[in-house]
Amino acid sequence: CLATGSVTSCNNKLNVVPVDSIDAGNALSTSDDVQAALVGTYTSLQSIDAYGGYIQFISDLLADDGDITFVGTFSNPYQFQRKTIRRDNGNAQSTWGRGYATINRANNVLANLDKVTAAASKTRTEGEARFLRALTYFDLVRLYARAWNDGTPSANPGVPVVTTPTSTVTDANLLARNTVAEVYTQVIADLTAAESQLPASNGIFANKYAAAAILSRVYLQQGRFTEAAAAANRATAGPYMLNPDYDTEFYQGADLLANTAEDIFTIQNSAQSGINQLNVFYGEQQRGDISINDQLLNQFEAGDDRAGLFTVTTNQTYSNKYDAQYGSVKLIRLAEMYLTRAEGNFRAGTAVGATPLSDINRVRARVGLPALATVTLPIILKERKLELAFEGFRLGDLKRNQESTTDPTTGAPVAWNSPRLVLPIPLAEINVNPNLVQNPGY
Amino acid sequence: CLLAAPAWAQSQAVSGRVLGSDSGALPGVTVLEQGTTNGATTGADGTFRLSVGPRASLVFSSVGYATQTVAVGSQATVNVTLQASATELSEAVVVGYGTQNKADLTGSVTQLSSKDVGNQPVQSFEQSIQGKAAGVFIESGSGKLGQGIRVRVRGVSSISGDTQPLYVVDGIPVLADNLSSTSGATNPLADINPNDIESINVLKDASATAIYGSRATNGVVIVTTKRGRVGATKFTVAYQTGLSSPTHTRDFLNAAQYTELLTEARNNNGSSAASTATRLRIIAGDQDPTSYDTDWQHQAFQRAPFSQYDLSASGGSEKTKFFISGQYSDQNGILVSNRYQRMNARFNLDHQATDKLTFGVNVGATRSVNNRLPNDNAFSTPMQIVALSPLTPVSDPRTGQPVGAIDPATGTYSTNFPFYYNPLLSIAGGAYTTTVYRLLGNVYAQYKFTPDLYFRSEVGIDFTNYNEDQYQGRITSRNSGPTNGFSYNAAQVNAKLVVNNYLNYHKTFAEQHLVDVTVGTAYEQGQVTGNNVTGTQFASDAYRTIANASSITAGSSFNNGGNTLVSYFGRLSYAYAGKYLVGGSARLDGSSRFGANNRYGLFSAGSLGWLISEEDFLKGNTTLSLLKVRASIGKTGNQGFGNFPSRNLFTGTSGYVGVPGQSPLQLGNPDLTWESTTQYDAGLEYGFFDNRISGEFDIYLKNTNGLALNQPVPLTTGFGSIFRNVGSLENKGIEFTLTTRNFVGDFAWTTSFNAAINRNKITNLNGPSILGSNLSRAQEGQPLGVFVGPEYAGVDAANGDALYYSNATMADGSLDRSTTNDINGATYVVVGNPNPTWTGGITNTFSYKGIDLTATLVGVFGNQIYDGGAQYYSVAFNNGYDNQTTDQLNRWRNPGDITDVPKAYLFGGNGTGASSRFVRQGDYGRLRTVLLGYNLPSSVAKRGYLQSARVFVQALNLLTFTKYKGWDPEVSTDYLTGTGSTSQNNINQGTDFYTAPQARTFTVGVNLGF
Repeated sequence: CLATGSVTSCNNKLNVVPVDSIDAGNALSTSDDVQAALVGTYTSLQSIDAYGGYIQFISDLLADDGDITFVGTFSNPYQFQRKTIRRDNGNAQSTWGRGYATINRANNVLANLDKVTAAASKTRTEGEARFLRALTYFDLVRLYARAWNDGTPSANPGVPVVTTPTSTVTDANLLARNTVAEVYTQVIADLTAAESQLPASNGIFANKYAAAAILSRVYLQQGRFTEAAAAANRATAGPYMLNPDYDTEFYQGADLLANTAEDIFTIQNSAQSGINQLNVFYGEQQRGDISINDQLLNQFEAGDDRAGLFTVTTNQTYSNKYDAQYGSVKLIRLAEMYLTRAEGNFRAGTAVGATPLSDINRVRARVGLPALATVTLPIILKERKLELAFEGFRLGDLKRNQESTTDPTTGAPVAWNSPRLVLPIPLAEINVNPNLVQNPGY
Repeated sequence: CLLAAPAWAQSQAVSGRVLGSDSGALPGVTVLEQGTTNGATTGADGTFRLSVGPRASLVFSSVGYATQTVAVGSQATVNVTLQASATELSEAVVVGYGTQNKADLTGSVTQLSSKDVGNQPVQSFEQSIQGKAAGVFIESGSGKLGQGIRVRVRGVSSISGDTQPLYVVDGIPVLADNLSSTSGATNPLADINPNDIESINVLKDASATAIYGSRATNGVVIVTTKRGRVGATKFTVAYQTGLSSPTHTRDFLNAAQYTELLTEARNNNGSSAASTATRLRIIAGDQDPTSYDTDWQHQAFQRAPFSQYDLSASGGSEKTKFFISGQYSDQNGILVSNRYQRMNARFNLDHQATDKLTFGVNVGATRSVNNRLPNDNAFSTPMQIVALSPLTPVSDPRTGQPVGAIDPATGTYSTNFPFYYNPLLSIAGGAYTTTVYRLLGNVYAQYKFTPDLYFRSEVGIDFTNYNEDQYQGRITSRNSGPTNGFSYNAAQVNAKLVVNNYLNYHKTFAEQHLVDVTVGTAYEQGQVTGNNVTGTQFASDAYRTIANASSITAGSSFNNGGNTLVSYFGRLSYAYAGKYLVGGSARLDGSSRFGANNRYGLFSAGSLGWLISEEDFLKGNTTLSLLKVRASIGKTGNQGFGNFPSRNLFTGTSGYVGVPGQSPLQLGNPDLTWESTTQYDAGLEYGFFDNRISGEFDIYLKNTNGLALNQPVPLTTGFGSIFRNVGSLENKGIEFTLTTRNFVGDFAWTTSFNAAINRNKITNLNGPSILGSNLSRAQEGQPLGVFVGPEYAGVDAANGDALYYSNATMADGSLDRSTTNDINGATYVVVGNPNPTWTGGITNTFSYKGIDLTATLVGVFGNQIYDGGAQYYSVAFNNGYDNQTTDQLNRWRNPGDITDVPKAYLFGGNGTGASSRFVRQGDYGRLRTVLLGYNLPSSVAKRGYLQSARVFVQALNLLTFTKYKGWDPEVSTDYLTGTGSTSQNNINQGTDFYTAPQARTFTVGVNLGF
């Protein structure tokens, strides 16, 4: 252009547009665009900072009282195991950031629903986005705030609730923390809507049973046992059945892709998509960062198939639950619903869908254990712990059941409501946003 | 006859010898008959021979020496001694789009010559000028070969943008993008053969740099390659060979010490004696724990030979001159398997087609092969081997294999023996090679309309073809995954086109008014494209390429979209009576990187100078032979960002197991524009005793406003940051150089000293601090990269707990100096600064007859280093089984013990948190180069049909003086400073993380000319 000396042609030379990405203004124009944004929200769940592993891993390590030992080489998991978390803990930051990235993606979908023309598609899309948002808020509020049953949820700070997508940042984005109760209200509203909006069958994506299942988790966490049992019962109404073998539910000698009959909702992985960080942490052929202690192994009854899902070597015992390198991460299994329904019914004194005894025996039968004649709450809780080990349930269960855990360094007990079992609001986030109140102890 | 008949004018043969005041015979001096193109070049012994016309004068010029003009008269022999000088006034200084006489210069420019860069055992020229240019701070991050080098001219002027200077080679701004797929950056400047360089000019103040406009804030480094000279074709052959070793190693526990301290750490955490005995046995590979005493650190290093071959030919006629060179260099790194091989060829040609038209070509082609290593934060990087226990054998006695290769208990590859991955497995069973082809060249044509006015047009390309191959065989599966082999291949093309057109007018009016005007335009465009593939599942370890992978697990393409720059520039300088100087320059840049509203930026500078020593009252004064003052003010920009920072973008990379998906990528800001820096500079140039003592003094202030800052935003927005023009920072400093020619004559001794002080301060962030890794951050009111964190208070003598100062601000404004063992209870305070308070260098050159000795000492003072690995290896086992540094033996043991090492407690986390405990003093002085050479007398050389012969020995990094207890104080871990985020790169300075020490290299060599 300079050879010709034309200013206009030179100006045109400056109009360079990106080729590997597109302007946001062109990204959400059509129904397919919104659908792609919805899929991108699922992709966010694959992150190791979400359900690719760390949400479950942090929860299990933080609650652990000696069943397992982290023997790996990253320093952050040691902080979780010791329950002395530093306010600059990198995982506390990345899990928070990833959670809100997921929420922003879901909010982008919800804000552009009007682009979805077909009514059925629009309803389903809304349901999926609300499901994903609720799932994320539920885990954020459980990790970063005091438990529902710890003090007054309507006064305790929860996490900020954002329900609109971000297109620019102003001081209005310096949000204060909503209360724990407000977050739960948002979660329940989203899940209730999602359950009614989602179809019964939706491929690898969330369906109405998945929404009911997470709702049952939320109610259980709140101690609303009747509603928990009812929601779990609705989830069991789906076309699900327990996998005949416990071990093949997790590993079939090859990488898993499709959901099994037992899976209500999973995070999918493949060689090209997603990382199963739990495989990295637990897998004997990976880093093997988690050593299983006899304290856990001794809790299994003789003949329990679940006790066979371990490899014992001279140096270390491994769990085989995550041996499939590209295996999907089981986020909701039917077995959990039986256990939740059993507990909810038992505690509420009801028998919605089935008796607690029959639900517990159903779970026991699958792993080769004899049927019990009666159940007690400790039996239900123990069954739940062994069935769902390493799947991210320990911290939530410990808090709602007001159990204590152990400081591995001193051997001293750590109470269920100790501030040490709550993650810090990330140091970087506190620095950016003066309206955020830090958790006690940080 | 009386007819003017120049063809028949008597010509006269002249010969002679040129000596340098500091170095004996001077080869390569241009000898020109004044006012003609008739000339010659001195040979290796400084001699020349030429036929000249009557009443001829000869002009002797050579870079680094005062040009001298001698009337021939009736002499048949003209011997001259050229005065070496760093401040020679008639020396031509290469500035943007042209040259200027040093005398007329009103800007701050440091000029270095081929003497400063050639023939050293380093990969790139910047490494050779460390400590030689005041205000230019150069740092090699580690001893890995071919890695990125940080060069900072007058401090760091950006937080989120590029902080490296603009590099211009033979008029063409060149590519300096790092293309590495890991965060261990590679160095694109290593593609330039240092031996091809004639001169390097570092433009520092705004009056010198503003002509480069929007890229000038970080200074401009102009590299000029060698050109042919009129005279007989001259060949040179050079060879050198040598050996490298680490500058320093660190002291780790031996087997007995390890056992003692680990046993104590286990006792303290309640482990039983039996379990400890079992554990020690496991660590020793199921052998008696007293069987081995392995020095793992030693295993990370290798014998590192170096050799380099150079060949060049240059010469030419009055019409055509050429320079051709080739080099092959093969350098082995001090770390196992690290190797850098390079082949270069260069062809520079100038042809005078008519009296008015000249054209030519400058082309350099390079192929380099770098056998690289993972970044410092990888378990497979050799330096992380120091974590392994001395109880663990190198070779597993049960299998004869390297430890970790096969677990004999399971027959599979071990995941927990040794307790960390053994990096030697990646050396034995893997490879990581980067192959680069680079073509850097330009063609030019210059047309002289009148003797005072010429037009020059340059078209340059810079083309890099970058290929990366990684292979990890089955033996590495603990690190690379159980995938039966892993292979990665990436290919990238980085291409750039530059067109410069400019007019220069240079004329003296009425003998008093010198006017020099340059006006022109430039157009640049560049683009990086590439793709990569990852494959796994190989039939055997013999198959290593993607073609043999049974499973393709990842693949992608990359296109940065490209960027363009359209520019108009001009420069005017005016000198009255050779003593009153005025300069001005401006550049209008249009860049595709910014929004349509802010696409063009104007950058301009003005300057004044007064050559006081040319005034009547000083002229001829031999005591004060040079005195010049100058001052400048100007504005420059920085556009060293990604190509599309202003746009609100979505990416389609969010597919979910094959289902297409998209997601937001970044928040845009349509108002985004340049970072703007206003720089003030005042300088003084002085010379005493006929310039036996000379130097310069500069004081400057650089105010950068409208930082294009990657500003953190609340993560609750779903984003981490947004680019905004907010905030400002300043750099201010002093530069001082002094050159003294202590002895001249047969025995010559010259001393060059330089020192620089730079103070960096972030004056306004308009928002929160930006956190880097560990304690590094950008914080308002502090220098960039300052360490902020808990302040370590030592050890509680009662129980061995690590203590931290509370440092909470009390009601009266003072700090609470009580201590706590809860690191979360310590308020963060400034605990260190990675920026040196001052840097400097001193070079001494001695020569006597044919012998010369040059020694350069560099110094960096007042900075701190964050020893990032110390949280693992200097914590008395509180963070795991990692072998510990010997200073941990001084741990707390009993109540009342006074020490700063907390109680040993396996996995106790006592004192492991990032704090001032791991901040160390980073000052050092280093004997950077020592070179001893001997030039054979030409009578001897000629007997071997040689023009010249030189032998030399040299040492690089011979001695280091420091209190730093780590490997080497010249350190900046690659994984924190070569990351994708420029903000993080700039903030995370001065961190050591299992970073390889620098190499100490000895070489011997020979240069022959014929």
